[in-house]
Amino acid sequence: MAEQRIATSKVAGTWAWAFQRLSAVLLIAFLAVHLYVAHFMDVGAETGEEPLITFDEVSVRLDQLVYIIVDYGMLSMVLLHGLNGLRTVLFDFDMFVRRKKVIDVALWVVGVATLIWGIVILLPFITNAGG
Amino acid sequence: MKISSFKWLFGRNSEFWPTNMKTGMWAWVGHRLTGLVLVAYVFLHLSFISTASTAEGGASFDALMETTSQPLFVAMDFLLVIVVIYHAMNGLRVVLFDLGVGIRRQKLVFWVTMAIAAVLVVGGMLAIWHLVFPAGGA
Repeated sequence: MAEQRIATSKVAGTWAWAFQRLSAVLLIAFLAVHLYVAHFMDVGAETGEEPLITFDEVSVRLDQLVYIIVDYGMLSMVLLHGLNGLRTVLFDFDMFVRRKKVIDVALWVVGVATLIWGIVILLPFITNAGG
Repeated sequence: MKISSFKWLFGRNSEFWPTNMKTGMWAWVGHRLTGLVLVAYVFLHLSFISTASTAEGGASFDALMETTSQPLFVAMDFLLVIVVIYHAMNGLRVVLFDLGVGIRRQKLVFWVTMAIAAVLVVGGMLAIWHLVFPAGGA
């Protein structure tokens, strides 16, 4: 029943609401770049049979710092948008509203841990990028 | 969640019972469902690709790409294309709505974004068709 529901922004917070919109628009751009780079762009190297993506092909790209920055940017936006979206869905259905703090902390831990994992995975490419 | 909440959410008198839902509610429910699917997908995507990247020389990365480029996986990618495009286009509508654009013509804006979504889905289908149905059974 509609009158029982509380506006999502009041439960989830105005900053979360605003950032969800901003990251949404950024993610559309990031996704377009991601798909183009992974599936359509020619890296100018003999990297095996098309359209298969190979480790060599990805390595050629990741030797340039700009692709690593784009990847880190997209990863952080995806995590913020996805996990905050999950939080919104939970609160929309009145789940864990009383345990908001616990949910917030848990989602931050998952997000930050995943981001660190992502950063660590691409670190070898950064050290290669110099030489 | 209280036990009675189940009836409140899914019962015949609930706002989510199919015949009680109008366009905006379908769009809202669709956005939540596709959102949850995408969160699950993103974490699978990240975990598979990142763990495959840790092996020396990328052998397991290439093996993963070999597997996931099979027609069945590409066909499932097409479902992902539909889910992503719906979520993106409906999300764009939500952003426009929150900026105060087209509030008086909500339904029209919804169907315009869905028309754009349909065009993009057809584009996606054309782009991957040859991977799902390789010519000459290659």
